[in-house]
Amino acid sequence: MSKPSPEAFEEGRGMDAHNEVMRDIRAEKSETYDPHEPTRVWVDEDNTPDGVKQSLTIILNTGGCRWARAGGCTMCGYVAESVEGGSVAHEALMDQIQVCLDHEAENAEGTADLIKIYTSGSFLDEREVPAETRRAIAETFADRERIVVESLPDFVEADRVSDFTDVGLETDVAVGLETATDRVRRDCVNKYFEFADFEDACAEARSVGAGVKAYLLLKPPFLAEPEAAADMIDSIERCADVEGCHTVSMNPCNVQRYTMVDELFFEGGYRPPWLWTVAHVLEETADVDAIVVSDPVGHGSERGAHNCGECDDRVQTAIKDFDLRQDPSVFEQVSCECEATWEYVMDAETSYNMPLVR
Amino acid sequence: MTDHFEVHERDGAARLGELRLADPVTTPALADPFLEDAGSLWAAEQEVPDGDDDALTVLPHRAFPAGTRDPVKESFRVDGPDVDYPSAVVVAADDARDVGADAYLLSDAEGFVGHAAAFVEAIVEVRETLPTDTAVFLSGVATPRNAATLVYAGVDLLDATKARARGLEGMYLTDEGEYFLEDLEELPCACPACATPREEFDRADCAAHNVNALKAELRRIRHRIREGRLRDYVEGQARHDQWLTATMRRLDDQWAYLEERTPLIRDSELTAATEDTLSRVEIQRFADRVTSRYRSRLTDHPLVLVPCSATKPYSDSQSHRQFHDAIQWRGHVASMTSPIGVVPQELETTYPAQHYDSVVTGDWSGDEIEFVAEVLRRYLERNDYPRVIAHVPEDGYREICERVAAEVDTPFEYTCVDHPTTDESLGELNAALQGEDAYRKREREHATVRALADYQLGDGAGDALFPEDLRTTGRYPKIQSWTDGVGDDGTQLATMVPQYGVHSFTLAGGKRWVESDAPTKRVEIDGFVPRGSVLAPGVLDASDDIRPGDEVVIEGPKAFAVGRAAMSGPEMVDSSRGIAVEIRHSEEK
Repeated sequence: MSKPSPEAFEEGRGMDAHNEVMRDIRAEKSETYDPHEPTRVWVDEDNTPDGVKQSLTIILNTGGCRWARAGGCTMCGYVAESVEGGSVAHEALMDQIQVCLDHEAENAEGTADLIKIYTSGSFLDEREVPAETRRAIAETFADRERIVVESLPDFVEADRVSDFTDVGLETDVAVGLETATDRVRRDCVNKYFEFADFEDACAEARSVGAGVKAYLLLKPPFLAEPEAAADMIDSIERCADVEGCHTVSMNPCNVQRYTMVDELFFEGGYRPPWLWTVAHVLEETADVDAIVVSDPVGHGSERGAHNCGECDDRVQTAIKDFDLRQDPSVFEQVSCECEATWEYVMDAETSYNMPLVR
Repeated sequence: MTDHFEVHERDGAARLGELRLADPVTTPALADPFLEDAGSLWAAEQEVPDGDDDALTVLPHRAFPAGTRDPVKESFRVDGPDVDYPSAVVVAADDARDVGADAYLLSDAEGFVGHAAAFVEAIVEVRETLPTDTAVFLSGVATPRNAATLVYAGVDLLDATKARARGLEGMYLTDEGEYFLEDLEELPCACPACATPREEFDRADCAAHNVNALKAELRRIRHRIREGRLRDYVEGQARHDQWLTATMRRLDDQWAYLEERTPLIRDSELTAATEDTLSRVEIQRFADRVTSRYRSRLTDHPLVLVPCSATKPYSDSQSHRQFHDAIQWRGHVASMTSPIGVVPQELETTYPAQHYDSVVTGDWSGDEIEFVAEVLRRYLERNDYPRVIAHVPEDGYREICERVAAEVDTPFEYTCVDHPTTDESLGELNAALQGEDAYRKREREHATVRALADYQLGDGAGDALFPEDLRTTGRYPKIQSWTDGVGDDGTQLATMVPQYGVHSFTLAGGKRWVESDAPTKRVEIDGFVPRGSVLAPGVLDASDDIRPGDEVVIEGPKAFAVGRAAMSGPEMVDSSRGIAVEIRHSEEK
């Protein structure tokens, strides 16, 4: 397939089935949201190619991902947080940005150098965020150092990315690649593009001086723990080899409501990855030529990446520490009796006996 | 076609099988030592391996974990490649199809193990869908405590992954429980791992113990199947976890599934120690046949109801000898008993009447009273006696009789003064029979021969196979049945087998059965003359109602034979391996 698009890719029996099921699952959701409020906003700090920076993260409510409306990714419930009707007007989006600026004023020290905007879809998709809004947002944050905007690779076009680089922002496009393995991305995640499309997006971003941050998914449904770990190690190595991809964010799958993962979890067929697996992957890929970070959402809970319950916070702290320092020796300082259980899971768990341990 | 798995023995839904690897394995077994996984197609493309006769190879698979919806299963389903080495395929329980593999690994076991209703539904569906001579395999779920129930339901292969993982988590597993290792002051086991001093015993030792305990449990399970006594074990052992007991009870509700697989006869004891014994196929089947197939030929005489005895058959017991001395063949004797119900004297040796052993306290539960009363009521509705002499003690027995007496037309009288065997009670019994004629030995032997045929073959079979020309020889309980005289003058039709109280037929008996109106249990074979046994692949067709242990006739273009079924009729038709029928006599046509 030459040009990936949600429409063209909703073909093939596996994808039809995944989309059919995901549409059914999402239809169970009834809440709607105010288009004048962002989905979420928070202040944090992040490791960037220019060092650790204070960051303002914005989850913009744009009406959601077009792919998710067709069914979409098996683990993604974010579309469920989008507004009814499907699209949000320019004024409403700008209201959301104002709410975020107010939040920053209250919670940050000064202004954040790094702005990260996610939409649970594609910020560069003009059906989600009109060109007018994109340019207005670029203006709004023109005085910052760096901006990250989320997009699927098909919408990464030089003239859209240049709206940010032209105002002097260091710009990164965050691409939800999930895995470098096309088969896993297609069959387990139900994403329609290929690794080659990601490589093209990196080249497109680079052409206007922007970079790419690859988002990977640790342990999609249907993969056992050792398979998931091997897939991540391989994926991080392959991403780091792509020119323009300077950062990889490897994120453990968490169980979101109204998703296929949630149904598998509820029926006993899915367990989020171990935090030990996150640590293992980061350790194994510490020497690649890219920043590799991970932010386990809901760590320590049964719906998020977790270990035995005793050591979760300590391992999470080590992971956060690694994110900032990229030093694998942080993992030597945490240990727990449950490492032996995890090692056994890595040895014996298969897709036909998982989850071997809850 | 299953090439590498064969069922050798059956005990209800549980089976003792042989996985034909280079070094054959007796199942139920733990598969870890000989399992080779060709890998998941979700993760990568996988080659179909060259395979190996030393291993059970799990062919490249797309496992559907618990909670996978049907459209996903339908579109990602993998067709198993046809290989000639021992192979397993991975399927979801509700998506299992015969693809010619030796074993079927159920990928959604994590979802249904632990939930009785879902587990029973899954296993029954898989067993009913797949050929009988394939192994059902659950990975990642077996513990020493649940293994017996998993096997009892019809699972053939397990593995030690769960037991090992639990040990590494600090959980110490036994056949009766699951303990936090740190809470155990002493280790309740003497396996090699547990020889480690308590203070040095760590989680690795705990994992080793768990695997040992699971291995030991599998040995016990295999022995129980060989003995035909797995149910007796499960009735007690499943008490240690509620879902296991619930599973056993829910399986009892799957009458068609269990009944088809439960043998008609066994020569081992049946332990009746729990209220669940009442629901066993063997018990329910006996009660059903006594009240729907059997017919008393001695209804010119009063029915004398007596309590059962611990000694079996009852007539060998001291109490029943005393009853006999008082009755003197003037009444037709039936014993009342929990959990069997009503045992007419002709069927006192018939499995399980001669084989059960119950807990005797004298107290009857409400369920027992209700069950025996129901059997007695149906028995009296079917058999028209002039009167009933209830020579039974107060507790339970009397209540049952009074309850039934109020519902039937036959008049009841009671002859026990206190205990049934006191002189006074026996005197009353004798007095109640004053003026009744005694029936003759010939009459009671003929009644027995016909009763066994009713019980084995169906309502009316006794009269159809053994009409007026019946002659009997031999000493009870080894009665031989003849026609047209005995010895050189006549033809022998059958011999009663005292161990389980059924007929075994001669060729002449088999022919008479075929010619009679009684429904024939028939096995159709191809053009050969069977000697010794008929193997399943040689069976062209078989009656649906054949059960393991049934008498059958075998017919083909070249031969006629009689024998005993080793498997059910549906299994004979379905199987490609294993002994279907043990031949007793055969002749060329």
